[in-house]
Amino acid sequence: MLFSTFMMALVSVVAGTLIACVLGCLPGLHIYNVMGFLVLWMLQGSLALPDVCFVAAMTGMVVGWAVMNTIPSMLLGTPDESALFTVLPGQKYLMAGRGYEGTMLTSVGTLAGAYFLLLVVAPCATKFLPISQLVLKGHMHWVLWIIITFMIMSEWPKGGNRGRAGWLKFFDAWKTLLAGLATFLLAGFLGFVLQTASPLSHDIAFQNIMPAFVGLFAVPWCLLNIISAADVPPQRLCKSLDLNGDILLRSVWSGGLGGGIAAYFPVVTGGVGGMLAGHACAQRDERIFIMGQGVSKFIYYVGSFMLLFVPGLYLTRGGGAQLLTRLYAPNGMSDYYLVLGCIAISAGISYLMVSPLSRLTLHLIGKFNYRTVSIFALVLIVAMVAWLTGWVGLFIALVATGIGLLPVLFGSRRLNCLGVLLLPIACSMSGFSPAIARFLGLD
Amino acid sequence: MKGFSHFMSGVAVASCGPWAVEAALQQNPIFFILGGACGILPDTLDFKFYRFFYKHDVYVEPDPAHPDPQMVANEVARAVQIAAKEHRYVRLKLSSIRLGADFWQQYTVRFDNVHHEVTCQFGSVVNTGQVPVPGTEDRYPEVGRAPIPAGVIQTYDSPLKVDIFDGPTAGLAPRKDGDFDLEFLPWHREWSHALTIGLFLGLIWMACCMIPALFGKTAADCWTLAWQGFVTIAGCYAIHVIEDQLGHMGSNLFFPFTKHRTEGLHWMHSGDGLPNFTAVWLSCLIIFYNLSLRQPALPPEQHFTLWKLLLYALVIPYAIFGILRWLLCLGKPPEGEKGDDADDEWNDMKASS
Repeated sequence: MLFSTFMMALVSVVAGTLIACVLGCLPGLHIYNVMGFLVLWMLQGSLALPDVCFVAAMTGMVVGWAVMNTIPSMLLGTPDESALFTVLPGQKYLMAGRGYEGTMLTSVGTLAGAYFLLLVVAPCATKFLPISQLVLKGHMHWVLWIIITFMIMSEWPKGGNRGRAGWLKFFDAWKTLLAGLATFLLAGFLGFVLQTASPLSHDIAFQNIMPAFVGLFAVPWCLLNIISAADVPPQRLCKSLDLNGDILLRSVWSGGLGGGIAAYFPVVTGGVGGMLAGHACAQRDERIFIMGQGVSKFIYYVGSFMLLFVPGLYLTRGGGAQLLTRLYAPNGMSDYYLVLGCIAISAGISYLMVSPLSRLTLHLIGKFNYRTVSIFALVLIVAMVAWLTGWVGLFIALVATGIGLLPVLFGSRRLNCLGVLLLPIACSMSGFSPAIARFLGLD
Repeated sequence: MKGFSHFMSGVAVASCGPWAVEAALQQNPIFFILGGACGILPDTLDFKFYRFFYKHDVYVEPDPAHPDPQMVANEVARAVQIAAKEHRYVRLKLSSIRLGADFWQQYTVRFDNVHHEVTCQFGSVVNTGQVPVPGTEDRYPEVGRAPIPAGVIQTYDSPLKVDIFDGPTAGLAPRKDGDFDLEFLPWHREWSHALTIGLFLGLIWMACCMIPALFGKTAADCWTLAWQGFVTIAGCYAIHVIEDQLGHMGSNLFFPFTKHRTEGLHWMHSGDGLPNFTAVWLSCLIIFYNLSLRQPALPPEQHFTLWKLLLYALVIPYAIFGILRWLLCLGKPPEGEKGDDADDEWNDMKASS
C-alpha cells in the first residue's frame, strides 16, 4: 500500500515536471493556465485523480515551470513577470554568443534556491512562520504600499544627460519618470477594472489576469525583438560556469530575500522579488545578479506553493496554491513531507532538462533567426490568449500591450506595469477600493 | 549605502513609533510610507532634482559622430587653467556619449600629477547594462593629452569614467599648496544630507497638518498627527544621514550652519554587499519586533525579546553563512573592486535603473 502510494506520487511528480518542462519552453503560456484547466476538468468530473497524485503533479508542474521558464525569458526574450529582470542580461549573453551560459547560470540559481528552500527554509518553517504570521496579521497592506513607494522613488531619470543646467534639463530627465508613473497608474486602472468589473465570463475567471500580463510583459518584448532583432551570433556551449562558493552564497542571500518576500507577502510577485533581490545587496557581478534572479524566481514560485503545506500555517500564496485549494486542503506533516519530497525530485529532474532543452532552443534560434523566432513566439502568445479567453481576452491583452509599450518607448522601468496588481490590491487591503470604484464608475 | 538599505532603515525607524503601528493596524499606512520615503529622500533630492539645476563652469560634450579624445583633454585642462588663474572653485561636467537606444561610448579621464597633464582615452562601446560590446575596444586607440598648470589630487586612485546615462561632475577645489582637490559629484550631499533639513521638512509637515484646524477641525487631532509626522520625518531622514556618515564621504551635517561635508567614519564603502544586506535584514528584524510588541493576536507565551530575535535571525544565520563562505572559498574570499562612496552610489543608482 505504502509502496503503491509512493509510486503514484513519484509517477505523478515526474509527469507533472515533464509537462511543465516542455510547456515552460513555450513563450507566453503560464503553467497556472494549464493547472487551471486541470482543476477545471477535475471539478467538472472529466478527470479523476487520487489526492496524492493531484498534489504531486501540481508540485511537479510548479517546480518544473519555476526552473524551465528561464529558457523563454533568457533566450526568446518573452518573460513572465517573475523573470523580467533576466531578459536584458539574457539577451546580452545571447548576443555575445553565450546564451547557453546565461541560461545555465540562472538554472544553477534555481537549483541553489531549491537547496536553500529544502535545507534551510523548510526545517525552520514549521516553527517560525506561524509566529511571524501572527505578528504580521493586519500589517500586509502597508507592506504593499511601501513596495509601491520604493518602486516609484527608486527609478532613475534617464534623460537630461546633456546641456546646461535648468528646467529644460530637468523636464528632459523627468520624461522617463513621468512615463513610469503614467504606466503604473494606467496599469493600476486596468487592474481596478479587471478586479471589480472584469469583462471575462465567470467560467474562465481563473484566467482573469492572464491576458493583461501577456499584454503588459510578453507582447512588448516580442514586438521589440521583431523590430530591433539583430542576427544572433553562433553560440558557444561552455563547459564550466566559472563559479565559486562566494558567488553562490551571495546569489542565494540576495535571491532568497527577494524571493522570500515575494513568496510570503500577498500580491508581491516574483518581479518585485527580483527587483528587491537586485537592490538588497550591492551586487556588481553580473553572474551574481543572474543567479540571484534564478534563486528569487524559484523561491517565489515554489516557496509560495510550499507555504500552503506548512503545518500550523497553511498560507495560500500564489496562483498554484490557490488552484490547489479548490480541490484539496493540505493537513499535517505527511502532506508537508510529500510536497518537500516532490520539490526535491522535480527540481533535480528539471535542472537536468535545462541543458538539453536550452541547446534545442538555441539550435532553433540559429536555424530560423531571432526575428522569425520572435514572430513565432508572438503568434503563439496571441493564439494562446485567444484560445483561453476569447475575443474579450484579446481585447484586454491589446489594451495591456498599449500600456506595456510605454516603458519601451520612453525607456522607463517595465516593472511599473505591476501596478495592475499592486495598486488595486493595496487599495483594497487598506479599504480604499469602494471609494475608488465609485469614483471610477466601476461599482 | 544603497537606496534600498536607506529605505528599509527609514521604515524601521518609523516602526519604532507606537503610533505608526497602531495606525497600521487601523489600515492607515501613512507613517510607514513616510518612513520609507524620508529614508531615501536625501538621495532623491540630489539625484532626481538638484543635479539638474547645478551650474557648471565647463561643459565637456563630445560629438557622438566624431569622438575626439584630444578635445576632451583640452576642455578638462581648460577647467584646471581657469581654476588656477582665477584661484577659485571650478565645476566641470563630463557628458556621456549616446550612440543608440542601448549603446554608449565609454571614455575615461585621468590626471597625471607626475607629468602635469590630463589624459583622455575612449574605451569600448557599452550597453545600458555597462557591458562592453565585443570588438569595440580598439576603435579609438589614440590618447588625448593636455598640460595642466597644477596637480589635481584625487581621494582614490581611479580615473573619471563616463559611460551610461548622465556623466559625472567634478569640482576642482583650490588647496593651499597651489594644487587642487578633485571632488567627485560635488552636488551630492552638499545640503540635502543634513540633519537640519529633516527637521525643516518635519516642520513643513506640521504646518500642513495644522491647516485644517483653521477650518474648524479639532486642533488636538491636527496636533497629534502633526507631531507624530514630525518625529517620523525627522527620524527617518536622520537615519539616512547617520548611515552615510559610516562611509567615507560623509555629509554636510548641519547645513546651513556648516558649509562642508564632515568626513565619514570609513567603516564601509557604500557599495559593499554585506553592510547593505545587513542594514536591510536588521531593519526587517527591528520592524518585526516592533510589530510584535503591539500585536493583539500574538499570545503572551509566544512573545520574544529583541535579543532572542537577533540571536536566531541574525547571529546564528550570519555565523553559518560565514563558516560556509569560508569553507566554500577555502578560507580566501575573493576581494571585490572598491571605489569611493560617491562613485559607488553614482554607478549603483544608474545600474539599478
